This record gives sequence, C-alpha cells and structure tokens, in this order.
Amino acid sequence: MADATFRLRVTYGKTGRLRFLSHLEVAHSCERAVRRTGLEYAVTQGFNPRMKIAFGPALPVGSAGLAESYDLWLRRLVPAAETLEMLRAATPVGLAPVEARYVGDKEPSLTAAMTLGEYEVSVEDPDMGPGRLAEAVADVVGSGSFAIEHKGALKVYDLAICLPEGAQVSEEPGRGTVRMVIHMGAWGSLRPEALVREALGRMDANAASVAVTRVLLRPEEG
Amino acid sequence: MTGGWERVEPLLSHVERPARYIDSEFGAVHRDDASYRVALLYPDTYELGMANQAIAILYDRLNAVDDVAAERAFVPAADMAAALRQSGTPLLTLESALPVSSCDLFGITLPYELTCTNVLEALDLAGIPLHAADRADADPLVIGGGPCAFDPEPLAEFFDAFLIGEGEEAVLDIVASHRASKAEGLDRAGTLLALAVVPGVYVPSLYEPATDSSFARPRAGTGVPPIVLKRVLRDLDAVRSPASPIVPFMDVVHDRATVEVLRGCTRGCRFCQAGMVYRPVRERSADSIVRDALGQLRCTGHEELSLTSLSTTDHSQIEEVLRRLGSALRGRAVTIGLPSLRVDAFGVAMARLVGEGARGGLTFAPEAGTQRMRDVVNKNVTEDDLVATVRTAFEGGWRRLKLYFMLGLPTETDDDIRGIGTLVEKVLAVAREATPPAQRGGMRIAVSVSTFVPKAHTPFQWEPQLTLDEVRHRQQVLRESMPRKGVELHWHDAEVSFVEGALARGGRELSPVIEHAWRAGGGFDAWTERFSLRRWLEAFEAAGIDPVALGSSPRVVGAPLPWSHISTGVSEDYLALERERALAGTPTTDCTFDGCTDCGACPELGVDVILAGGSRG
Repeated sequence: MADATFRLRVTYGKTGRLRFLSHLEVAHSCERAVRRTGLEYAVTQGFNPRMKIAFGPALPVGSAGLAESYDLWLRRLVPAAETLEMLRAATPVGLAPVEARYVGDKEPSLTAAMTLGEYEVSVEDPDMGPGRLAEAVADVVGSGSFAIEHKGALKVYDLAICLPEGAQVSEEPGRGTVRMVIHMGAWGSLRPEALVREALGRMDANAASVAVTRVLLRPEEG
Repeated sequence: MTGGWERVEPLLSHVERPARYIDSEFGAVHRDDASYRVALLYPDTYELGMANQAIAILYDRLNAVDDVAAERAFVPAADMAAALRQSGTPLLTLESALPVSSCDLFGITLPYELTCTNVLEALDLAGIPLHAADRADADPLVIGGGPCAFDPEPLAEFFDAFLIGEGEEAVLDIVASHRASKAEGLDRAGTLLALAVVPGVYVPSLYEPATDSSFARPRAGTGVPPIVLKRVLRDLDAVRSPASPIVPFMDVVHDRATVEVLRGCTRGCRFCQAGMVYRPVRERSADSIVRDALGQLRCTGHEELSLTSLSTTDHSQIEEVLRRLGSALRGRAVTIGLPSLRVDAFGVAMARLVGEGARGGLTFAPEAGTQRMRDVVNKNVTEDDLVATVRTAFEGGWRRLKLYFMLGLPTETDDDIRGIGTLVEKVLAVAREATPPAQRGGMRIAVSVSTFVPKAHTPFQWEPQLTLDEVRHRQQVLRESMPRKGVELHWHDAEVSFVEGALARGGRELSPVIEHAWRAGGGFDAWTERFSLRRWLEAFEAAGIDPVALGSSPRVVGAPLPWSHISTGVSEDYLALERERALAGTPTTDCTFDGCTDCGACPELGVDVILAGGSRG
C-alpha cells in the first residue's frame, strides 16, 4: 500500500513566447520545475516509476492560457502558499504558477472536471471594416454546425453543444476580439482559432493575425 | 538592442516545432549589456545541438567572463530557413535575438564531416561572407572547433581560424586576444595575426594551402608556428561541469543532465579518432562527479543523468561513484545512464548498479567478428569474453542487447565478415539458453554495422577506403551470414560513408566541393533523407576532383598529409608503428592499466595521465 499523498492543484499561465509550446512540452517543463523545487513528490508504482502529476485539457501550440492547471501529488504536506513560492522560483516566467491549493483525493480528474474553456481570440487586420467581423462570426455560428478537416477526415462539431453560449465580438478599427466558451467532451474540443479563421475567410481577411488565449477553465455548473 | 524577436514571432505560426526558436528556457543566460558578444553555433537543428556538451561547456565558461555574452544559434529547419529568407530576416542568436553577424565572434563546433554544408547555410543565413578572404573588419571572427578541426583544411576557406583541441581555457584566450586587438584598433589582418600566436589556434589564411600532396606551411614573414599543437586541459577537475545548463522545453536528443567523468581513452582501438586525439586519460574525482551530478540534477530538474566519456566503466572509481549516486537518488525516479560498457562481468555489474535490475538494454561493441580482425584493430575483447558477458546479462534478467560492428576494416576478408554472423549466432544461442522459454518472446537483439572510414590522426590514416561497390558486396556477404531469425540488422548507408571518407582526409582543395554541394541545395547532409550522392558527385566533378581516388588510394607513410601541420601530441612514428602492429595482428596495451606505450602525447603536451583512484585494474 502506498503512503498517504496530498493532492496539490496548481494553476499556471502559458504566456508570451511560451505559448508556442506543445502540451507535452508544457507538461515536461512543469515536471522539471517541480523537481527543481525539491518538493517531495509521489512516484507512480510499477515498472517505470514517474512523478505523479496530471494535467488539465491540452492547449495547442500557439495558444496562450491564463489559468491552466495540473494536480501534483506530494508525499509531505507543505503549506500551499509555500509550495506556490517554491514553484514560482523554479519555473520559467511564461509558465509561472499563480495559485496552489490542496484538493480532495476523491475529486474527479482535471480533464474530467474542467469541460468548459473560456477563450478570447484577438484579431488584427488593418483593412478590417467596422462590424464585419461580428457579422462573419455570427454567420459561422448561426449555421449550427462547423466542419474541419483533420488528418484527412472531416470532423463536424454541433455548435449547440460545443458553443453553448455563442460568440461575442467587440471591435475597434483594425482589430477585434471574439469571446466564446467551448464545451469539451467526448466529441472533442473545437479549436476557437479554426472557427475565427473560417469567419475571416468568409470576409476575405486571410492575412489577419489571430491570437488565442484561454482565459479560464471551469467545470459545468450544477 | 532588441527588435529581432518581433521579426521572428510572426513566422512561428507557420513552422514546425516553434519551440526551437523561442529561447526563454530555464538556465538560458541573458546579458543584454555585455560589450563583447559570442554566437555559438551547432551546425544542425536545435534538438541535436542542445545535446552537444562542447557548446554547453563553452556557453558556461564564456558567460562567466565579465562583460562577455555567449548566445546560442542553430541551423533552422528548412521551413524556418525559407521563412527567414522570405521575410528578409537574418540568422539571429536565441538569447538576445540579435543578428549573428553583429556578434564579435562566431564559434562553430564541427562534430561530423557531413555537417559542412550546414556551416555554409548558417553563414549565408547570417549574411556573413562565406569566404574568410571576403570578410570586412566589421564581420565577426568565424572560428571552428571540435573533432573535424583536427583536419581543418577542407573547411579552411570558410573560417578565419580554428581551435585545435579542448576549449575550456583556449576560448578565454581567444576572446582576450580579440578584445585586446579591438582595444588597439587593429584591422582584421592584424587581429588574425595576433590570434595565430594563441596556443592551439590555426589561422589558415596565414599558411600556404595544403593539398592532398602537401600540408600547409606558414607564409613567409608571418611568424606563425609551423605545427599547431592541440590545446589540452591538464586537469578535468580544474573546470567544474556546468552547474545549471539550459533545460530545453522540447524533446531533444540526450535530454538529460550530463557529467563528463573522464576525458580521453587509451584502449587504443586503431580506427578510433577520438581515442587518438583526446589523449591522455584524465579522470574527474569521485567527489567532484557526485557533487556536480547531484548539483546539476537539483538545478535542472532532469529525470535522467548520464555519466559520459569514451569509456565510463574504465573510471578507476566508477563503482564508488555509482553507489554514492544510487543512494543519494533513491526514490526520486531519476535514472542513470552509462553510454558505453566494457565487455566483461564488471560492465554488467555496473549496469546492474545503475539499473536496479535489468530494465534497459545493454550495448557492447565487439567491432569485428573474428579474433584476427579484432587483433588488427586492437579491440581487446575475445569471443569468450562476449559470450560469457552475454550469458551473465541474460541470466541476470536482461532481454535487450545491441552489438556494434564495423565493416570494411583494413585487411578484412569475406571470412571476417562471415565471422560477424557466426559470432552473432553464438550470442543469440547463449542468450536464448540463459532466458526462460516463457520470456524468449521479449528478447531483442539488434546488430548495428557501420562502414569503416579511415580518419586523420589514427594508425589507419594511410589506409585506402573501400569503393562503393566493394562496400555493397560486403554488406551482401554480411546479410547472407546473419542468422535468419531473432536479430534486427541495421547498417550505415554506404553512400554517406563514401562521402564522409572523401571529406575526412582531404585538403583545402575540398572547399570548392563543399561550396558547390551547398549551392546545389545541400544541407542537413547528415540526415539520410536529405543526403544526395549525386549532388556530391557533381560537386566533386565540378571541382575536378575524383573522390574515389581521394578516398581509395593508399597513402605513403612518411609522405606529407593535409593535416601534418596539426599535432594531437601523438607522434606520427607511433601511429606508423601501430599501423605495422595492426597489419601483424599484434595487440597494444592500454597505458592506464599496463604502463606507458610511448605514444608521445604526455611529453609533447606537457601533461600526465590522471587516475582519480590512483590506478585501474
């Protein structure tokens, strides 16, 4: 029987240049940061022992996140505020932890629990006319479904399920922001960038720069 | 001074693996206010270059110097290189994103002959004139080092200077010399003249070119040394292993903490360039290995530690080191790797110490299939050693084994090649015998066969290289002699080895060949899928050089060689004697076990063998 462990939930950002990291690169870098702290982490049983750590839903290469999470199992209870200090000191700035708290061992995993992602997609294009982005996004969302080709196969998302709250657009000259909540589940995880790119395509603005930030991950209510 | 990053960032959404280009890793050093800037280039992609120990050591050493910044540069992959060219962005250093061309010194390590086209790619992307002769005072000094600098002539046109030998102390001397020249306001010619008297530095423009029939000699009036003697670090313990090397975000080759436990190897394999050019053996002490290893693991958070060298299990205190590390790292899910194992029970015992069981695979290098052939190359391993060692390993629970052999060694006959098959068959039988029947399905035996390429500064430097047709014939003999089942056979591409051989022993006449190959689309030639024999043959033809004659004709002992002006400390007489002993099948002992063999390195270099535990054996 393994000794008692303490499940620490760490919330961190993926910002600046480090948004270009893949999910695996982020996970690997966070594990190494944990090792650098000297915290006594739990190790998995079995043939190839590894640090006991579990990450929330993946963010693609290029997307930033302000409140990403991982659960880390510790062998010794260290005050959460202290662990946060230690982790901050050991982590590259672009992956800096912002919160650490203990959660019950019976709580569902991060990937099972955190099924809603709040996104902000910033679009910049000097030629973009007023109101056009809002119109194009409404056009895409209004169609009810969204199809993308992935590795040769067509994947169709039902927007009533994937995008339960629709998309909100705010615009300024030459730029706009699209806010949306993505519902992730067995059907996959719709990429906000793909949806916005589709809207930009419809308004002939393929050259626009698009920056995606996941602002928050949260569980479904009720 | 910033601005470069703003040019790179928009490109990153369109290239593969952008983590190669973003810097910001834990351990990266940023010294924006330094007045002297060095760009260190590994001539391949980030994920290969980050494994390179020379770059890590020089980065650490140079960044410790007041007012000096050392930054990294790598060769961008084809997609990024195209994006840079299209957007008019030059090659930038990672740390400050400044153009490499704005640095004071551009240091390029030369790990392998076929990275030569990538050197030109890097210079071109950087906007630095390819030819040293075309560079202006404002251009960085382009200095090469590493294994291929021991025969620098093929790349001589492209480099302002080469450092021959070990860099820990020499790079500091080079930087000091360059800064002094700058302070004095010397022009490029004056700067190079001053640099040429730094021990270990070779400035090719100050020498009459070497060709395949004569070596480079000092130009009249330059006062530069006729023979450039390699630099050597007297005591490895005098320089700590990098305490907190950069921790890559992305998966790189050899992604682990690394402590070099000893330098040099005097086992004396006659084909091995590293064994000849890095003499003498100098061991780090057990205390400093353990201190540096634990410190580096703490600072980097790596989950794997590698104790590197040419022959780690020969370290006189290796058992103590492994026991101390094992107890210090218990329960932390850190694995320890040994890159090379001795073919004996001791090697297996050491593997057991780091493995806490038999999880990983074992790798041995018998190199040749018959005792006669092993005596020729001085690989002091018998068939009984190998068979007994494999039995011990498989009885001890190991199930995976990798064996390294070479094809095309001097005096090799078809019988020697068939001997590889016979030996592998015996190994396979013993391994099977030692494995309970229920577990035999998990057995994996891999055999990797490379093609012998004669290298400069070895006893085989005078030997001809096999022609392509002959290599193909011998590979066929090998294939036919291998057991039909139970062995995975891999071999090195014969065409790549052929070009490697032509480049490995050439003179300055090869510079145009390399340039032609690069201009014709060459680059990443060390990657089999990017290599094109046709492109190289055309490049040789354009330069009027017959690569077959260059590689395949034997050279005369005593006649000048294109690298005769470069000395590793090992005397040419010793190499010639070793060649004679090879042809007679007479083994030579290892001076760290059985006393001096008079290779000349210690007296010539003014250093001694250092065995941390006092003796080996």
